Amino acid sequence: MIHLAFVMAFLPYNTLVVASGVAAVGCAAGVIGTFGVLRKRALVGDAAAHATLVGVALALLVTGQRNLAVLLVGGLVSAMVAIVLLVLIRKFTRTRDDAATAIVLSVSFGLGITLISGMVSRGIPGSGGLERFLLGHTASLTANDALLLGTVSVVGVLCIVVGLKEATMVAFDPDFAAASGWPAATLDLVLIALIAVMVVVGLPAAGAVLVTALVVIPPAVARQWTERLIPMLVIAGLVGFLSALSGVVISSLAVQVPTGPVVVLVATAFLVLSIFGAPCRGILWRTRAVSSLSSEFLTKTEVGVATPTGTERRP
Amino acid sequence: MTGNNSAPEVHADNPMLEWHDLTVAYGRRPVLWNVDFEIQDPCLFGIIGPNGAGKSTLLKASLDLVQRAGGTVRFWGQRLAEVRSKIAYVPQRETVDWDFPVSVMDVVRMGATSRLGWFRRGGKRERELALASLDHVGLADFAKRQIGKLSGGQQQRVFLARALAREAEIYLLDEPMAGVDAGSQEQIFSILAELRDQGKLVVAVHHDIRTAAQWFDAIALVDMRLVAAGPTAEVLTPENLTMTYSGRLGILDEIGEAVERRGRTS
Amino acid sequence: MSWLDSIGPLHGWAIATAVVVSACCAIVGTPLVVRRMSLLGDAISHAVLPGLVVAVLLGAQPGGIGVLVGATAAAMVTVWFTRFLYRQAGLWEDASVGVSFTTLFAAGVLLVTISGSRVDLDPGCVLYGILELVPFDTVDLYGWDIPRAFLSASFVLLLVSCGMWCTWRWQLFTAFDCDAAKAAGVPTVAVTVGLLVGVSLATVAGFVAVGAILVVAMLVVPAAAAERLVHRLHHAVWLAVMIAVVGAIGGYLLAWRFGTSAAGMMAVVLGVEYVIAILVAPDDGVVARLVSKLVYLWRVQCEDRLASFWRAEESGYARHESTVGGLVDRWLRVNGQVQKQENALVLTPQGRVNAEVIVRSHRLWETWLGRHVDLPVDHLHPPAEWIEHHLGEQVRKRIENELGNEDVDPHGSVIPREKR
Repeated sequence: MIHLAFVMAFLPYNTLVVASGVAAVGCAAGVIGTFGVLRKRALVGDAAAHATLVGVALALLVTGQRNLAVLLVGGLVSAMVAIVLLVLIRKFTRTRDDAATAIVLSVSFGLGITLISGMVSRGIPGSGGLERFLLGHTASLTANDALLLGTVSVVGVLCIVVGLKEATMVAFDPDFAAASGWPAATLDLVLIALIAVMVVVGLPAAGAVLVTALVVIPPAVARQWTERLIPMLVIAGLVGFLSALSGVVISSLAVQVPTGPVVVLVATAFLVLSIFGAPCRGILWRTRAVSSLSSEFLTKTEVGVATPTGTERRP
Repeated sequence: MTGNNSAPEVHADNPMLEWHDLTVAYGRRPVLWNVDFEIQDPCLFGIIGPNGAGKSTLLKASLDLVQRAGGTVRFWGQRLAEVRSKIAYVPQRETVDWDFPVSVMDVVRMGATSRLGWFRRGGKRERELALASLDHVGLADFAKRQIGKLSGGQQQRVFLARALAREAEIYLLDEPMAGVDAGSQEQIFSILAELRDQGKLVVAVHHDIRTAAQWFDAIALVDMRLVAAGPTAEVLTPENLTMTYSGRLGILDEIGEAVERRGRTS
Repeated sequence: MSWLDSIGPLHGWAIATAVVVSACCAIVGTPLVVRRMSLLGDAISHAVLPGLVVAVLLGAQPGGIGVLVGATAAAMVTVWFTRFLYRQAGLWEDASVGVSFTTLFAAGVLLVTISGSRVDLDPGCVLYGILELVPFDTVDLYGWDIPRAFLSASFVLLLVSCGMWCTWRWQLFTAFDCDAAKAAGVPTVAVTVGLLVGVSLATVAGFVAVGAILVVAMLVVPAAAAERLVHRLHHAVWLAVMIAVVGAIGGYLLAWRFGTSAAGMMAVVLGVEYVIAILVAPDDGVVARLVSKLVYLWRVQCEDRLASFWRAEESGYARHESTVGGLVDRWLRVNGQVQKQENALVLTPQGRVNAEVIVRSHRLWETWLGRHVDLPVDHLHPPAEWIEHHLGEQVRKRIENELGNEDVDPHGSVIPREKR
């Protein structure tokens, strides 16, 4: 991280602004992604992400504007349509859930590729630039773009902060929330919409194919370090922030490298380190402390009723 | 839903809980047929029956968690939406993700804050209410523990504490004793009996007839339909138990299937 | 169409390659979908990229055996990594898949970018393949110029078909009930590994044609569509192959016609086929269910009307004015259930028999409910109104036997006897 800061001191102003905007996206994606992952919605975000291409391409085709805001709005619309389609398939057909996700994901991506490719071969202005939404390319962002991304991210995080009680209640036990009179289904929908917004806003940073990593990996890292929700949100935000920041900085230094893969690999590095090194849950800690843990157990839990701890999974 | 802490002016002569011709279907297939009964006064009320008999469905349909195919449910003569703040629900333990990063105290606080308005987090009052509820179920020492690190009985008591924190008048519990050791069961039953003594109605889905006979004031025997309901001694007769437990009434299954197909049975 | 005539050998080879690839994917995709491993297939298709790149860097020929081995190895790494994340790190199941495929794909893209000219793959084409260029990379086979990609795809098709044919029973058993299969002595682990190896091979073959993401469409969509239309698994495999081939040919031709990416268009055509499948599926297709609902509602209307005629007769009004439900009455007349008599409608003998069936069902059900369900008498009518349309002859007989010789329902009305 010290190297990063050192490098950043030498970067041009524009890059710093872009870096801040994209880092804000990473942070917000980590925070909102935490709820997505806790609600087992990780892959719904993936289907939405692949579908954004269609909207982005159509936005360019229909309006002729290369403005990032316009393109992202188009992406958001198609992402929401994909989510609706997924819900419809699950509700009205007997197709399995995972197959439905794979179908929506791949077919919508195919449609997006068809549109972009068709637009490129017809020489529609700006269509060549759409390719950067595949794997992310922050080097082409302007300061205004970064401002847009940053603003949306801040608003997203604010939504979570303000509605923390509601989000936690619905994420933890939607039946109890509904029975207590809360509109659990609507709140769930709002959460999904927030994830879709984050996925769209993450497109310039990571691209449609990899943006789901921004929403999934930081919460996974955070969960290794804490058992409480608020620290988890903070850590996820931090990890997302640093991953996205690294991606931008490295991408600006090596212009031919797409940003997405760098962001993902930095985040994964955090994850692997955490899996091994985090206290209590980390693998190194568990193997070392096994013998002392077992005796600690029998005194802390109820007599005669021992509970498994850590991360042993039921098969 | 939005909290007000005043009691609803509904306790007239209306029964506390009334099921009127309640039929519930999953998809198109009826799983609970024409349940019709009313509970007038506070008591400890058990819903007993074999597996898959629709007991949980009865509770969930009462709370609008699953859709009714016919019939109504009334609390003090009013619809659910009007009296939600006076009702607390304890769902089955299997429905919860025990790996969720919340502590025991966090969960109980969720109950206390569930009656507050939008975006209101609650403060000292809610925290003290949560602590009091935890104390009531004997888990005050476990407040900071993550919920996955508890035994079955402890987890159940956390859920009960969450419901207590709602300060409700009617408590609906779905299999509160499932996977709970005998000692904890006694403890939980005592707490429920206390609630009944304080004038609350406690309705619990339960699976064990022996403990049911011991603890519940009144019972409903359910096997896809209401076989019998009333005071425990009157209902738990050999004839009623045979009708409830000796094999599913094939006819209801067959007709259920025909209804689902929108056709006729053979 | 004139443009069809101008399909020359180049397009022919591209189409042929696409057909072979899609057939491979459909064959391994069907068990994959049935076993709820679609997303693992997604992960594998992303993960083969680093395997491919590493193999090429180590000297393997693109399109050769070395690459197949490298890709399969990468696929196994993915599966292992996903399980590691889920079991050892305690990650949520869906998150494990999400982490592993993005990580491996990212690693692959980075490797491709860094190795530059040493690996002849452009990150863009990794995502959507280079089907159009396939005919230009040929191998000399007994004097014929065959595209390399077609050869390796055909080889994979052979492997995969043989493998599936030989292990079919085991695949079927494991797909339906893995635990029971294991208990019955089927080597389920080997079966699963074999399936995943098949998936990796098919993915590599598909990689060249359509790239990493659209190969997922080829794996999952034909199988999902076929399952809606047929019920036996081996029929589903054949149908999936046909759907896949139609998708490949149709997609390529449409892409050529409209000047766009063949890979993308193939995925779109497959999607359209899936939509058609869910609409027209015989039992639970959207159209079938709508039709069934309408037929049901009509039947209920007619039966209710018929029963009302009978009840009118029972209470002494022999004539029944044809007022409400004109359409229903006309239908009943056409079917000989009622007839016109002095400006009113009355039941024909045939109609009377059918009406009695309905009323009998209604009253039998009321009696049965009264006995078995704790319902007050005045609550018995509405459920009987509903169930009377669903009782068939045998069930009526069973109820009658059980009730003994009940002639009268709880309201005191006579239960009509069963008539032949």
